[in-house]
Amino acid sequence: MASFTTATRLSARLVSRRVAQDAASRGFRTSAVSLAAQNFTMPALSPTMTEGNIATWKVKEGDSFSAGDVLLEIETDKASMDVEAQDDGILMKIMQGDGSKSIQVGTRIGVIAEPGDDISQLEIPADGKPAHDAQKVIPAEKEEPKQAASSEQTGARKQPRKSGEKAPPQKYPLYPSVAHLIKENGLDESVISEMTPTGPGGRLLKGDVLAYLGTVPPSRPEDIMKRFNHNSHLDLSNIKIAAPKKTVKAPVQEAPIPEERLVSLPVSLAAVIKVQAKIEDTLGTFVPLSTFLERAAEVANDALPLPSNYKPTTDELFNQVLGLDKVAPKASRGRYLPQIAALPPSSLTGVAPKPKARVDIIEFLVSSTKASPKIRTVPIQPGVSTGTNFFSLTVPREEEKRAKVFLQRMKTVLESKPGNLIL
Amino acid sequence: MLASRLIPRTAVRSSFRSKTSLPTVVSPVSRWRRGYASQSEEKDLVIIGGGVAGYVAAIKAGQEGLKVTCIEKRGALGGTCLNVGCIPSKSLLNNSHLYHQILHDTKGRGIEVGDVKLNLEGMMKAKETSVSGLTKGIEFLFKKNGVEYIKGTGSFINEHEIKVALNEGGETSVKGKNIIIATGSEATPFPGLEIDEKRVITSTGALSLEKVPEKLIVIGGGIIGLEMGSVWSRLGAKVTVVEFLNQIGGPGMDTEISKQAQKLLKKQGVEFKLGTKVVSGDASGETIKLEVDSAKGGKPETLDADVVLVAIGRRPYTSGLGLENAGLEVDERGRVVIDSEYRTKASHIRCIGDVTFGPMLAHKAEEEAVAAIEYIKKGYGHVNYGVIPSVMYTHPEVAWVGQNEQELKAQNIPYKVGTFPFSANSRAKTNLDTDGLVKMLADPETDRLLGCHIIGPNAGEMIAEATLALEYGASTEDIARTCHAHPTLAEAFKEAAMATYSKAIHF
Ligand SMILES: Cc1cc2nc3c(=O)[nH]c(=O)nc-3n(C[C@H](O)[C@H](O)[C@H](O)COP(=O)(O)OP(=O)(O)OC[C@H]3O[C@@H](n4cnc5c(N)ncnc54)[C@H](O)[C@@H]3O)c2cc1C
Repeated sequence: MASFTTATRLSARLVSRRVAQDAASRGFRTSAVSLAAQNFTMPALSPTMTEGNIATWKVKEGDSFSAGDVLLEIETDKASMDVEAQDDGILMKIMQGDGSKSIQVGTRIGVIAEPGDDISQLEIPADGKPAHDAQKVIPAEKEEPKQAASSEQTGARKQPRKSGEKAPPQKYPLYPSVAHLIKENGLDESVISEMTPTGPGGRLLKGDVLAYLGTVPPSRPEDIMKRFNHNSHLDLSNIKIAAPKKTVKAPVQEAPIPEERLVSLPVSLAAVIKVQAKIEDTLGTFVPLSTFLERAAEVANDALPLPSNYKPTTDELFNQVLGLDKVAPKASRGRYLPQIAALPPSSLTGVAPKPKARVDIIEFLVSSTKASPKIRTVPIQPGVSTGTNFFSLTVPREEEKRAKVFLQRMKTVLESKPGNLIL
Repeated sequence: MLASRLIPRTAVRSSFRSKTSLPTVVSPVSRWRRGYASQSEEKDLVIIGGGVAGYVAAIKAGQEGLKVTCIEKRGALGGTCLNVGCIPSKSLLNNSHLYHQILHDTKGRGIEVGDVKLNLEGMMKAKETSVSGLTKGIEFLFKKNGVEYIKGTGSFINEHEIKVALNEGGETSVKGKNIIIATGSEATPFPGLEIDEKRVITSTGALSLEKVPEKLIVIGGGIIGLEMGSVWSRLGAKVTVVEFLNQIGGPGMDTEISKQAQKLLKKQGVEFKLGTKVVSGDASGETIKLEVDSAKGGKPETLDADVVLVAIGRRPYTSGLGLENAGLEVDERGRVVIDSEYRTKASHIRCIGDVTFGPMLAHKAEEEAVAAIEYIKKGYGHVNYGVIPSVMYTHPEVAWVGQNEQELKAQNIPYKVGTFPFSANSRAKTNLDTDGLVKMLADPETDRLLGCHIIGPNAGEMIAEATLALEYGASTEDIARTCHAHPTLAEAFKEAAMATYSKAIHF
């Protein structure tokens, strides 16, 4: 049988971690707080294995996992193996992290909870004796010959889903094809428990009966199940994170090359220095100049006139169509921070054209060419004089007015009542 | 596996997880900032966006007893889908189909009609009535389920606090123990062609044209482009679809079905230019000129039209949301980065719907909304991404679920095919509407259904049956052994299943 499996990696399965008694007692509990989770101990992946290293956990603390997910990778002196969950659940806590070495079989390595459990309400169970009961593992089918020996020696449960092992009874009505095959082949309904269900929720499928009958290769239904499990997840692999700050405006807009303007205004910081000294005298705290400037910028950025090239968004256009545009924006918050220098900027209106690479939208959509995002940072410069300073901003031409309003407000706030910025 | 599934699901599913909220670091700047117009108490959940993802999450959260606020800036709930997407497009598709049928398809039915006239304004009104009825319905459901609805634009101040610029003017802020981002998507613009929604339009403009254009060019032969192209073609426009790929309907559509669809749409008068790239556009003249290039190096060509519909896809919409203030990441296509439980980098902020990964479909958004609330409330939720149906509401409709033939081939997965044409179905025959077929793909050994692809009348309704079958791991024999009413179109579905596992009776 093993030869049919195409798995190239050794894999092991974690079998139902809840023993029957535990399940029963759980059913009677009523308080969430008294609920205990399950210890998850180092599994014995081969008959001779006494200890192992944890290579990596594949599931994070607090994450849910589904049957078939790889929980962690364990290394022994002989091989490295994936441990798969046989059941859905939540990894509540990791007790032995990645890279833990020489952990005895049966030692607690983590704590797991049932799917749907509120893990914030669950108790971490006491670290009991090396428990065989909470932990049963089926090594990969590849390992079959050895495995036969192992189940005898360790007393671990035999591999379920192999003929001879009883599967729990089907609790749903049989599918029409299944019922038909059973009748057609003169089987007794009791043999159903010897079949390995691969359908969702443990349902017995036509293929499972065919596999039992030997009409199709025994591994076939399970291979298909694995593929379905795989397809059922959102593909979140290979995510390429975009550069941290994306420009808010459409990145692929083919606007004419933006012309930049330098806007500048002399601002006296004398009043600020005065207030600063006063605060230090009376309160004994020194408020750095940068604090004044940051706060002034906060105020000045509020409700600035829109750039002259402001284009209504699709939504706004649609709202116009519907006559819902009474609330069209007239102003918006800016994100300016001026450059400050004691000397006037070399030229008061400079034009700084920036060539922009053309982005082919079709290529972008079909392949995944990256549109390079534009990043603009305007740091505050330290060269500040205590007298008059030049506050300047470099902005696209369309924002000239907006930037001027901003600077004018900075000036007013800093020159007239800087004390308000601190109170 | 089964043993634990038999464990009685205890009644201890605890109430809402009272996560101790992280201490918010108050920066000197924000402390100093003038107080907001009003500051409300912390909610269990704040949702940004009242589209399908957002409003379903809000209602579900209300039902689960969470204190929930939903922020929507549009002035109406339902998002793209209800206001400018699924619903208005289906209204126009249905009524334009009726109009077209009355014009061209009555004689053979023994119906004589006199002068048939289009009243476009009336058709738009019918659309608006459907839309406003549905959006008001959601507002009612919000009230019923105790959802607070704030009309305004939300943006992150930090990872726990959201500032809302109210539509009526003024500002407020809300805090949430949990936050869901559901800000949806917008049409991807075509560089060099400025959208004015009158001559150069997205689907939004295509839903509200004031007159039938003489010539309409659709850039992009995906579902949205073909649906809107169909509408205007039926109403009298000469429609040309320019598509870069070599098939219409997008990559999910089975190639065989896609070819059929193209043939049938062509018969209705829609022109196609496949494998063709629009290089540039110029809308300055009386008509709009498009330079197109054959992808395989044919000679360039200039097309002209009165109206150009840009339907090259949709992109996630997060502008003005202040993601950076909450330290959240997007990928290179602007999708908000999540893990398998829809959590962003900040684990109390989740993200669902068009603005994140996966197909941009309303029912996908809805499934995720329910799953996200279940994760918040119970720590476990699930969406089966392998079983999400797609429908194109042209005539005939095209619908599919599961894998298509070209995907199976590409992955070297063995399969068998069974088909059944509607021309052999009694109901289709009586309806005089017999174009199309049902196609099933199944595992050749175990007969488990792998995918189903339908082109034909009512395909969109019929796909629900295939979806159910896939969800339950059914074989095509299971479908074939299930009784289907006679005479119905659904019998074609059953016969296709019979054709897959043994033989169809009626073909
Ligand atoms: C023409 C067309 C036809 C379609 N037809 C179908 C179809 O037949 N079937 C189907 O399944 N899908 C269809 N779709 C796709 C479907 O509309 C989307 O998948 C669905 O709307 C996604 O829902 P969502 O909630 O994620 O986003 P959206 O519906 O886009 O909702 C997001 C909402 O968030 C709001 N918002 C954004 N930012 C903010 C903010 N900062 N503050 C407050 N509010 C904000 C927006 O105003 C919007 O209302 C169609 C789309 C189009 C365009």
